Amino acid sequence: MMRTVTITIIKLYQKWISPAFPARCKYYPSCSSYATSAISHYGLRGVGMSMWRLLRCNPWSHGGVDYAVKPFTSNDKTSVGAI
Amino acid sequence: MNTILNPLYNLVSGVIILFHKALTPIFGKDSGVTWALSIIGLVILIRIILIPLFVKQIKSQRALTALQPQMKAIQNKYKDDRQKQSEEMMKLYKEHKTNPLASCFPIIAQAPIFFALFTVLNGIARNVPHGYLKGDYLVSAAQAKFFGASISQSFLGSSDTTVKIVTVILIFIMSATTFTTQRQLMVKGMPKMDSSNNMMLQQQKIMLYLFPLIFAISGVNFPVGVLIYWSTTNFWTWGQQFYVIKRNPTPGSPAYEELQRKRAHKAKEENRSKGGTVIDPENTELGQNGQEGEVKGQRKQPKKKKKR
Repeated sequence: MMRTVTITIIKLYQKWISPAFPARCKYYPSCSSYATSAISHYGLRGVGMSMWRLLRCNPWSHGGVDYAVKPFTSNDKTSVGAI
Repeated sequence: MNTILNPLYNLVSGVIILFHKALTPIFGKDSGVTWALSIIGLVILIRIILIPLFVKQIKSQRALTALQPQMKAIQNKYKDDRQKQSEEMMKLYKEHKTNPLASCFPIIAQAPIFFALFTVLNGIARNVPHGYLKGDYLVSAAQAKFFGASISQSFLGSSDTTVKIVTVILIFIMSATTFTTQRQLMVKGMPKMDSSNNMMLQQQKIMLYLFPLIFAISGVNFPVGVLIYWSTTNFWTWGQQFYVIKRNPTPGSPAYEELQRKRAHKAKEENRSKGGTVIDPENTELGQNGQEGEVKGQRKQPKKKKKR
């Protein structure tokens, strides 16, 4: 029940508030989609994870790819290679 | 909860009282001008503290110029897979330790201050002291007027017509500044988007008009003082963005092209007046911004900023 409510609020934010501003999240997926999947998978623990994610998404972080629930294929390097 | 909030109240009220003390010799202790300027002082202080973060973000945005070839490669490779594209782009940023995105921090950092100010100002109206705003200060602040409206009153909380007029005007200013800021960024400040981003742009356009409405709805609950804070911070954002768009625009954006043209033109003029033995005026000018060859490429393939 609480999960559905929280996720609905986040979804509303994604649909109606977030598009009004330039993209700002340093991570992929963005903090809000991270939160949706974290909360739907882990419940209360997911809330904590999302908070931690928001704290990590700060001006001193370099961001990157960071899933709450790991998909099948994922590695940390780009496929186009470094300079 | 109060152990977390009290330091915030102390901070907000402390800064306001400091400004109040500094301004009292000029405008008088009980003057509304003193109180209004004290709130504006709080905004200016916060925004000055946040400037280095803004500069940092602009710098890493500009650093992306060097990553253009890779970004282009990613875009081509994952043309049909937006998710993979975003993922690869983020990895690229991370590998090169440069991330052009701002993060929510500047907003989240201001939210508690905003909330504390809201509580402190509401406290004035209900004669409840918060932090350093107590005793004589509380009495003085309760009587302070901003264009005839008490700074602690709100549109819905007061039957005073002056308060209603002043709040409506402030809400209008808030909406107008947000609108102009967003519009300016969309029209001039962002790289031209390719067709895949059109939907997002469309969505953004709707938001552009919807957002002032949301402000109007929430603004009627806020005391005049909070509206002063909000309007001032919006003005600041607008000015900051105006400066960046004029002086240091994002590569690939219309404002950037405008600046390039202006510089090239200026260089040509200077050349002509000197009798011109300089190599290529455009080259020397663009040299400051890094790789000249890349600049040309960006016009065709602007960097992708939006990923969601």
